Amino acid sequence: MRLIRRLSIPLLVLACTAVPVYWAFPDGLPAARSLAIVLGWAGCGLLLASLLLMLRETWLAHWLGGLERMYRWHHRVGMAAYLLLLAHPLALAADALMDSPRRAWQVLFPSTLLGPIWLGWLALLLLMLGLAATFSTRLAYRTWRWLHFLLGIGVLCSLLHVLLLGIDEPVLPLLVLCALLLGWRLIGEDSARFARPYVVAATLHASDDVLEITLAPLARPVAANAGQFVLVAFFSGAGFRACGEFHPFTVSAVDADGQLRISVKALGDCTRRMQALVSGVPARVHGPFGSFLANRPAARQLWLAGGIGITPFLALLRSARLVHPTTLLYLYRSEADAAFLSELQSVAAADRKLALYTLATGDEPPNLDLLLAEAGALAGAPECYLCGPPGMLAAAVKTLRRHGIRPRHIHFENFGFR
Amino acid sequence: MRRLYLSGTLVFWLLIAALWGAKFWLPEADAPAIAVHERPVLPAELSRHAVPDDCWMAIRGSVYDVSPYLPEHPSRPEFVLPWCGRDASEAYATKSKGRPHSAQADELLAKYRLGSLAAQ
Repeated sequence: MRLIRRLSIPLLVLACTAVPVYWAFPDGLPAARSLAIVLGWAGCGLLLASLLLMLRETWLAHWLGGLERMYRWHHRVGMAAYLLLLAHPLALAADALMDSPRRAWQVLFPSTLLGPIWLGWLALLLLMLGLAATFSTRLAYRTWRWLHFLLGIGVLCSLLHVLLLGIDEPVLPLLVLCALLLGWRLIGEDSARFARPYVVAATLHASDDVLEITLAPLARPVAANAGQFVLVAFFSGAGFRACGEFHPFTVSAVDADGQLRISVKALGDCTRRMQALVSGVPARVHGPFGSFLANRPAARQLWLAGGIGITPFLALLRSARLVHPTTLLYLYRSEADAAFLSELQSVAAADRKLALYTLATGDEPPNLDLLLAEAGALAGAPECYLCGPPGMLAAAVKTLRRHGIRPRHIHFENFGFR
Repeated sequence: MRRLYLSGTLVFWLLIAALWGAKFWLPEADAPAIAVHERPVLPAELSRHAVPDDCWMAIRGSVYDVSPYLPEHPSRPEFVLPWCGRDASEAYATKSKGRPHSAQADELLAKYRLGSLAAQ
């Protein structure tokens, strides 16, 4: 089963690419023109795969190895499609370059075949602009999201380009499929039609900029486990003015009556606004996703948490007593930022299997070598679980590798869904 | 990934710019010699034959009167008729699956040849 999940995305990408390329594989054409045809169809196939990988469905994420993995592949496959589609017109021009440079230029910018060719250029430019926005880290999330949607329009334009060239046999169903996938994501998921209705039942400030929110289900609750994450959007109501965007939050507790607790750190415009949430605000929850702390082997454990990255470990400690000896290193900027510290200290005092080490790092990156040595955290080759900001994760992985911990014993999830 | 995007996009536009420059700097291949008996057709004359009953098309430098063949053409009329009275070389080279027409189609086309497309 694990092997199937591991191979699922590569096989899906291969199928989406190989089928159209096989169908359209040129026969008896010059090499450059054949290459152009293969590049075009492979690019279209990869775009389709990329669209499939952006869906946020729990059943799909289950079969494809998790939402985080899907998004990693969504980025890779989308980039590969872009590069192949850039090469497509260049290969067409190279074919005509054998006749003359003027003819090659006319292939790219013809004076006659206006509609289809200019639609192809429009598709390429939309993909170019959409990707430029995707890589821009300074854009506000809302602006980024709408600019990212240009990529979806670019996909539709690229298929319309092929359709207008008179190739309607496989393109029409492909176009309908892509439009359905985009609609599914945009109407079903982004506008919350497929998400479960919840309401804010209680809020509690866990630190200066972390709010723990209890969500009560208004219908069948999502079946979340400790360590998983959900996508949550809040909507205006009870005097609260919401931004209505879905953001990923780790479940910090699952209560018996289906209530969920999530912790929101003020990191951006929307999450800063969420700090003012009050009881009665309507919400929608999509998920659960992730298997970060699932299927942990029977071995010593090292948990390394940075800031709000404490929540999956907190959820686990709240759900049951520890079975294996566990060292929890909790790093935060200052005491005022240390969410749930007193609760963790109480758990550690009551559970002899938990060794808790905490450190206020200030603005400097912590000396992980020293910290791991002081805590004796690497004794007995533990399974390592990491959760925190990307910089801390990268440094921690490097440090653990240097201390001889193999990659298969280092586990982490990246919650950046841009 | 960001670096890949930037370098791929940069190389693409550099190649497009190089192609634009090449059409000025590189010499054109010699134009095929026009047979003496061929009638030169000016683009203005070509554009006057742009209806289904009187449909001329320029393909790879030659002009054809394809009106008698249109009812037999296998593709849907909306894909073919817009090319009446115009240079249809690219469309002729990119039919279904982006493939050009077959050698048999080339032979068939030769029957409808009127002459060569002359410069304006």
